Amino acid sequence: MVDQMLPRLCPSCGATLLVKRLACRQCETLVEGRFDLPLLARLEPEEQAFLLNLLETSGSLKGLARTYGVSYPTVRNRLDALREKVRVMCEADSTQEDVR
Amino acid sequence: MNAEATTNNQKRNSVLTWLFNPFYYLAGGQSLAMGIVVLGLCCLFGMITNSHFDGVLDFHVGAEAPWWFFWLESPIDWLIMGILLFIGGKLLSKSKVRAIDVFGTQALARFPALLMVLTQLPPVVRTAALRVSNTMLKMSPQLAPQADNGIADASALDVVLFGGSVLLVLVMLVWMLVLMYRAYAVSCNVKGAKAILLFIGLLLVGEIVSKIIILGILSASGL
Repeated sequence: MVDQMLPRLCPSCGATLLVKRLACRQCETLVEGRFDLPLLARLEPEEQAFLLNLLETSGSLKGLARTYGVSYPTVRNRLDALREKVRVMCEADSTQEDVR
Repeated sequence: MNAEATTNNQKRNSVLTWLFNPFYYLAGGQSLAMGIVVLGLCCLFGMITNSHFDGVLDFHVGAEAPWWFFWLESPIDWLIMGILLFIGGKLLSKSKVRAIDVFGTQALARFPALLMVLTQLPPVVRTAALRVSNTMLKMSPQLAPQADNGIADASALDVVLFGGSVLLVLVMLVWMLVLMYRAYAVSCNVKGAKAILLFIGLLLVGEIVSKIIILGILSASGL
């Protein structure tokens, strides 16, 4: 079976998608509502893999650099860019919550 | 895009990255060790060919100097730019800048300087440069007394050899500048107009400071 990617953005307008329906794997009970995707699930697949690899190397940037076959500053720059992206996403989330 | 085209693109990107941004793959102690070898070879071949790096961006051939002087020029250029870019990076960057990355990548960025000095290795190139410059002196009424009449006039081959080596040196110089900028951008995590302007400013300061230090050493040693 092919792994289906979780869609994060609306194919029509590009806005972040919400989860409207969840199903129980066992009894197939459906839960409906408006659920935001968790922040980490909204990252690009490569960014999610990058963070998982960082966990696997116990947060060692040197280890991560070895995993990717790149230099230490390259992974540090990527991590800093990701931190900045997450910061902006958190800010946008809190602004949206204030509006609601 | 098919898989083969993607692979070819990746290979080409990888080659371009190695040529113009090897710091994507190499930094820290590894680049410092390789860079020190590059600097050492620049000094060694500089001594053999009488080539001088008498400033961060300077390359001159022909002036006689004691052996130890050749072993100071390239390291001074590297250290001055390393110190300036480390301070500049610390001021501009939001990332944690490591000295070993800045100094290591700046040392490796001087690899084209090694190729510059290697262009002067064949004696025929140095002879051509000597003949062309001497012929140009003879052609100028004011500078003619400084010309050495014992040196033969430049032939067409001398002009071609001299022109070719100057062109090669210029290409290497541009390549070195690109590498120096990429080394600073990667090791300090800076980009954009501010980073470029700061780099140009620090390059000019580095050129002036290194020139003053190298000429200072030259005059202090009575040469």
